[in-house]
Amino acid sequence: MRNKLRLCSVIAMLAIMTFAFAGGAAEKQETKLRFIDVSPSPTRQEYFTNTFEKFKQETGISVVYESVPWDDAANKLTVLGASNQLPDVMTTWAGWLGQFTEAGWVVPLSDYIGSTKDEYASTVTELVWKAEQELYGNIYTIPDGMMVKGVFVRKDWAKEVGLDLDMKKGWTYAEYFDAVYKLTDPSKNRYGTSFRGSRGAFDPLFVYLESLNGGSAYAADGSSLMKNQEAVDAYKKWMGLYLDGCAPKDAINWGFVEMVDNFCGGLTGTLINDSEVTATALANMKDEQWMVMPMPRSDKDGKIYNTVNSPYAYSISSSSKNKDAAWKLIEFLTRPDNNIEYCKLTGLIPIKTAVGDDPFYGPNGPYAAFVQQLNDPAMVVPVAFGPFNYTDMHQGMMHEEMQKYLLGRQDAQTSLFNVVNELEKRMKAYLAENPGSAVEQPKGLL
Amino acid sequence: MGILALYIIGVAAACALGMMFIRRHTKGRPTTYSNLSARRKAEPYLFLLPTMLLLLLMFGYPLINSFIMAFQNYKLTAPSKIRFNGLENFQKLFSETDIWLIIKNSFIYVVVSVSGQFLLGMTLAMALNKQFPFRGLYQALVFLPWSFSAFVIGLMHRWSFNGEYGVVNDLLMKLHLIGSKIAWLGTPGFSLAVVIMAMIWMGIPFFAIMILAALQSIPADVYEASYIDGCGPIRRFTKITLPYIKPTVIITILLRTIWIFNSFDLIVVITNGGPANYSQTLPSYMYTKAFASYDFGLASALGVLLMTVLILYVTLFLKATNYNKAGNFS
Repeated sequence: MRNKLRLCSVIAMLAIMTFAFAGGAAEKQETKLRFIDVSPSPTRQEYFTNTFEKFKQETGISVVYESVPWDDAANKLTVLGASNQLPDVMTTWAGWLGQFTEAGWVVPLSDYIGSTKDEYASTVTELVWKAEQELYGNIYTIPDGMMVKGVFVRKDWAKEVGLDLDMKKGWTYAEYFDAVYKLTDPSKNRYGTSFRGSRGAFDPLFVYLESLNGGSAYAADGSSLMKNQEAVDAYKKWMGLYLDGCAPKDAINWGFVEMVDNFCGGLTGTLINDSEVTATALANMKDEQWMVMPMPRSDKDGKIYNTVNSPYAYSISSSSKNKDAAWKLIEFLTRPDNNIEYCKLTGLIPIKTAVGDDPFYGPNGPYAAFVQQLNDPAMVVPVAFGPFNYTDMHQGMMHEEMQKYLLGRQDAQTSLFNVVNELEKRMKAYLAENPGSAVEQPKGLL
Repeated sequence: MGILALYIIGVAAACALGMMFIRRHTKGRPTTYSNLSARRKAEPYLFLLPTMLLLLLMFGYPLINSFIMAFQNYKLTAPSKIRFNGLENFQKLFSETDIWLIIKNSFIYVVVSVSGQFLLGMTLAMALNKQFPFRGLYQALVFLPWSFSAFVIGLMHRWSFNGEYGVVNDLLMKLHLIGSKIAWLGTPGFSLAVVIMAMIWMGIPFFAIMILAALQSIPADVYEASYIDGCGPIRRFTKITLPYIKPTVIITILLRTIWIFNSFDLIVVITNGGPANYSQTLPSYMYTKAFASYDFGLASALGVLLMTVLILYVTLFLKATNYNKAGNFS
């Protein structure tokens, strides 16, 4: 009998403990928010902790700073999302939104934004938010700053080989390719381009292919516009930069870090990347060594097809128990004074119109080429891969198919068509599953 | 969470029942011969109980769960669409274009790494078994790689074999062994070779430690008798040394094979499976599938496949090496 009682008490105790853990701790009186940064650095951490201190003084709400290195961020947030443990406010990346909205991990922000919409720059309202509304039916993020792509060029090397580069005049893709070949000189250990062969490699290539179709990737029924000889030829031209020796052989495995390191370290002559790299170039290179050219114009219609997005954006998780306080924090972080301080630190363009004409972003500042493109009537923002979840493709198939072609395992057409066929399949499935939805269209800024 | 709670309660209840059963058959009875014998029979189970409990708690649940997930459409990004899908994950797995390349890589990776570690570890152990000045210092130095984390070793090799700035290319060029730089990490074949080299370098000390311990336990009088009998060094090695260290060698090879087969950290750090899956092995591919596409169903199917292969290997290996009779000189 005694043994039975003991057994019962052990089981009851275990059950109580288990459900107590499952139920979570009791709610606390003081409002405390959790914030996670997915791209931590000492500078960013210092900015956030100081700003959170100011926020607490103004509102009485305290914020706990958490971070996860960028390479692990997608995994960590996915695991936190699946276990309903996401922090109240997150810095997220636009590429995750398809997955996050599909899983219901982030809350719509339209009602919170309300009448303050006019305070934001047109890049935010007309591009980021318009795209989110088209793709996901609502606004889910507030950008932390804006960035646009440009071509970082070794000014000193260009001068040596007689290249006449004028930022204001810009260049075409044909001129860009020509410059890459001219800047290549293996005898001096110089390569024309920081070729991206690994994760993210398909992104700039996709934009180049879109420049042949007026910035579009799909027909109205979801069929791909990239399954033709013109696209295959363009694909070969792009990949030719690697195959013709304009990039080190190791570049087949290069991601963002290697590309930037090798440009700033003096191995490569050009680098296509976002304005955020400006801060790294400013810190590691001499002024006479580098410059930024706008993205090349399309050889077909003369327009600049360039992505404009925010590196990260603030969003509120649906598991937050203090959503109103979380919104207050986002409002505070994006207040003009705080936002401009943040943008200067991280190399971005501010998101609110009230920041005025700061000389840092003027025609003689380091961001001139980027701001110039945003004011260019010929600039068009091409469409994204699609409103569906493509994280798996982005982390695998897209660059693996490119690598197979670069290694001679399959021909260019097979490599390109394998990717665009998969994109087409997903786009058509999305359109079928979402009656009334339509294929995204390219957007002009002005 | 509910299933986990039920599982924990189930394990606790099973243990409590087991203990009650043992106590019922042993407690409060006169210590007759039969009772004493029952107690002795129960003793090993009591000693095993804490370990079994820990194993069941820490490994049992994930194991059962991953087995269930292998037959489910289980994507972390679509929790509302989780359902049983029969053998779909296994079909998908074997229809992947690179699966045979990955299986081939896994085989090469395991066989070459284990052989390299064993041969070099054995040589090192034999050398360290002799007395020479500063042997202790030398021993500490050569065993150092085993204390490094795989991440550090991975980074070290990634930089050493960097095609542009790496020390390996620099040395080979200065020695006029190569005319131009080799893209070690960007060339099929070489990328896997670099990972294997790193794995061998990291694992030699473990083999050496284990074999050295076995060598030092061989009674000196056996060797003395062999000298008196005029036995040569090769015969001494094959007839005395090898039989004595055989149980250790078998168990070490077995353990290292399992560990190497399951390891993916070095691959992820050095090449991330690239280029185009040429250095990808089954576990690193499983990791990629689980944490790049969040397809836990497919990753679990791969896990079940890995487990099956390892169980088969262990059974065959122990049978082939006659492990039960190893070290039996009677």
